[in-house]
Amino acid sequence: MSDVLENPKIEVPHAIDLTRKAGLGTGPVPVEPYVSPEFYERERKLVFGRAWLNLGRIEQLPKANSYFVKPVEACNAQVLVTRNADGEIKAFHNVCSHRGAAVALEECGVRNRFTCRYHGWTYRNDGELIGVTDPDMFFDLDKKQLGLTPIACDVWEGWIFVNFQKRPEVSLIEFLGDLGEVFRGIPYMNTHQALIIEANFNANWKLIADAFAEGYHVSSLHPNTLAPSFSSDKNKFARPVGGRAWGAHRSVSTFGNMDYVTPENSKVERLANMNNGAIVLAGDTGEQAQKLLAHRAINQAKSAHWSADLTWLFPNFNIDFSPGGFWTHEFWPTAYNKTRWIARIYMPTATSWRDRLAQEHYAARWGEVVLEDVSNCERIQIGLESGAKDHIILQDGEFMIRHSLETINKWVNAKTVKEALS
Amino acid sequence: MSEKLLPAGFEALEPFVAYWAQPTNDKRWDQRARAPMAEITAFYDAMYDRAEDAIAWLDENYPLGQEMPEDARNLSCLLLGLGQAAIAVEMHRQPRSPYSVFPHGIYMKSGPWPLG
Repeated sequence: MSDVLENPKIEVPHAIDLTRKAGLGTGPVPVEPYVSPEFYERERKLVFGRAWLNLGRIEQLPKANSYFVKPVEACNAQVLVTRNADGEIKAFHNVCSHRGAAVALEECGVRNRFTCRYHGWTYRNDGELIGVTDPDMFFDLDKKQLGLTPIACDVWEGWIFVNFQKRPEVSLIEFLGDLGEVFRGIPYMNTHQALIIEANFNANWKLIADAFAEGYHVSSLHPNTLAPSFSSDKNKFARPVGGRAWGAHRSVSTFGNMDYVTPENSKVERLANMNNGAIVLAGDTGEQAQKLLAHRAINQAKSAHWSADLTWLFPNFNIDFSPGGFWTHEFWPTAYNKTRWIARIYMPTATSWRDRLAQEHYAARWGEVVLEDVSNCERIQIGLESGAKDHIILQDGEFMIRHSLETINKWVNAKTVKEALS
Repeated sequence: MSEKLLPAGFEALEPFVAYWAQPTNDKRWDQRARAPMAEITAFYDAMYDRAEDAIAWLDENYPLGQEMPEDARNLSCLLLGLGQAAIAVEMHRQPRSPYSVFPHGIYMKSGPWPLG
């Protein structure tokens, strides 16, 4: 990227002026979106109620008639996502037409029909009501009108999105914009296996999303877990090596310490042949990994000091790439000050017990990182709710946070989605 | 099959089986997080000394994914427990990350295969 300049004080090239280049302001930003129940109500209705929301990947529906159920508390919904025998993916409210009970009671599985446990009404996985028990007792029952309530659903590059508008104002492709085009054709590796970490905690959903938007905090908050891999004497505060806005979305390329050497006392890392600290996901360096590195969307500056691309799709979803593969974050608000965060880190299948030990160590490190961020976010929530500060301050490397806040602000004030996206 | 806790040659690790030989990633994390540092270190030292032997024995007798009798399963869980203990001993020098909340609402819903 042409924005990457040599800074005389720092030996590592880094990107500058990301904030202005993304068309953002540079002043303090208000605390209100993090602490206000009223603001959250507007987010629920005008952001989560109108944006395309990622619910997972197609591999979560591995065969004909696979399904999963996903809660989206911000929209008061339980979404039933189904795949029929022809491979079509559809989404419905998990709500029986008779009296509102849930028709799917398990988190996932394989079924071509769902029978409500309350009175036994049965639906096909395309939503159609195909069976009513004791139908003669009803009055003017029209089964054709009584299918499951559909939710708009579309798939991009294997990612399943839904939209809670009855008739979405914009298509998924319009919503993704340039990002949807430039990120086409990325090889998604190891999609069969993900380390899944779920965290439920007391903080606004944007606080945890913000934590995954910048490397500035790494040396301070993650001194043992991440700092040795993602900062160095040459770039102590992990200035990014690239980044930009993509319409409502945004991405940043983070710095990696290429001089990392596994410390002498990290005997288990050495025993497990982990030579890359936290950077290379479980050591996947095969052909697919090379293809990923060569893709035009990845490490756009093609920096030699690149460790990861953090790609934040508006409003609450990250697809992040590193030399070894990819991972995702879903940041789901469950109240203005409560969040469910789901991290899925896709990993290759271990081929030996030594490999498996390396993966255990890798997973354990992730667990600690999640714990460090969750602990910190809960303390921030308390701090911000104290009312001590009306504003927070953001530096250039934190431009994605500013972009997120400005975009949310646009959405909660825009009459239409087209206007919000303009 | 045998009713031994661990395969022949690994008897010295038997005192650690009850606490450390846990079947899931989440459980192994939780056990490490709750243990006093002296106990983590004792397990780490003992298991590290036998880790190469354990890897060799498991790869030889029960390559990944094979059904294992209890003694082999215990050994494999202990080996993976070493990955957890290392975080405390080598990374934090205490059971959990400094200043982290505990207990917490975080769990490993699905760990790597097998014994995730």
